[in-house]
Amino acid sequence: MTTILVVEDLPDNAELADRVLSSQGYEVLKASDAETGFQLAVERQPDLILVDLGLPDVDGQTLVGWMRRMPEFAHTPILAWTAWPEETAAKMVQAYGCNGYIRKPLTSIPQFMAQIAAYLR
Amino acid sequence: MKITPATKASYGASPPFQLVPASRFTIEELTRAYNQTRVDYMVPMPMNVIRLTEYIHVYDVDLSYSLVALSSDQILGLGMLGIRPGRTWITRLGVLPVKRRQGVGRALMDTLLTNSETLQAQVTTLEVIKNNIPAYNLFVRTGFKDVGELLVLRRPPGPPPYTPIGEPDWVERAEALALLESRHIPQSWITETGSLANAEDILGLTLNLADGSRGWLVFQQQKFRMFSVSLSRLTLHTERGDALLLGRSLLAHLHERYPNLDTHTENIALDDPHLPAFFEMGYLESFRRIEMCRQLSHNHHG
Repeated sequence: MTTILVVEDLPDNAELADRVLSSQGYEVLKASDAETGFQLAVERQPDLILVDLGLPDVDGQTLVGWMRRMPEFAHTPILAWTAWPEETAAKMVQAYGCNGYIRKPLTSIPQFMAQIAAYLR
Repeated sequence: MKITPATKASYGASPPFQLVPASRFTIEELTRAYNQTRVDYMVPMPMNVIRLTEYIHVYDVDLSYSLVALSSDQILGLGMLGIRPGRTWITRLGVLPVKRRQGVGRALMDTLLTNSETLQAQVTTLEVIKNNIPAYNLFVRTGFKDVGELLVLRRPPGPPPYTPIGEPDWVERAEALALLESRHIPQSWITETGSLANAEDILGLTLNLADGSRGWLVFQQQKFRMFSVSLSRLTLHTERGDALLLGRSLLAHLHERYPNLDTHTENIALDDPHLPAFFEMGYLESFRRIEMCRQLSHNHHG
């Protein structure tokens, strides 16, 4: 089963992502902070990681930086999930090694699903 | 003698709310409330208990003069007050999204100003994220005026793009803090010597260049569970010579020494002469703040 790790501190957002992704047959792992997310990523080696850039312990860019320095995550798609303006989000995700980003709030579930599916191909 | 902080019994919104000192709540409760007030922010900057505790310590926040807006045991919003001699700093102000536009933010601001006057502060300052128009308008309505724009910058790990020049002298905490004391340029609350003196793992480097330029860089080696994870709180200062040249060299030495560390630094003034050196070194602008201040008169209440 394809596994997706969602690192998001806001319960409503995490729950929404869980419901939508689970309904498509993905196994969803959830973490509400960077430390838990990192541990889950190492233990479960998910197929895709969705990271909120604003986390309460260490921010999302730092978490992505940790993961990208490990060989086992060199090719794992990592997507930022952020409300930042397009230009800032684009610069940040490129600089920190994300494959792309998904804007908050989610306004189109089909578009969200299509983005996730595209990065899993 | 302890001065009793001001609180107000109730306000006219429906349902009415009360303002009570934040010291009546646990850090866990304040952390949860703070995070809930910012869920819809473009840059929410959530915190956990450890980070909020550190924040309160570093920025001299006094919870007995900070406020929580409460209605039937529900926290509607909060605002914190940093206190230093003659000055206060309003921070972490926020109201739950569904409770905005009901006078909660205004009541918090008015009472934080009253508390500042009680403390005999002559001036109070704050920072607002640029483009947070409702908050900015509230601060203008409560008498604040713009001081200037401040940048929050990030740089991913990596070596500097060019070889630094000159031989740096790396200095430990005490000498780094002494360097900060030598600054005569007004600083934001976050970058004041008082804040850095409260922070752990402060280090620095000084640099003399062949052309006679001389300057220094002070920074924090931020830790997470005892591991160095990032560089932060960067302060550059040129004592003599070309600020851009010195800035490039100081930053290049820093990133040559710590190529594996992420860097984030706050409140670099838009007119800081070292700012172009940050961008040359690969720093990205995360967002901007507007620093604002308000003079206080001690016969004014609310």
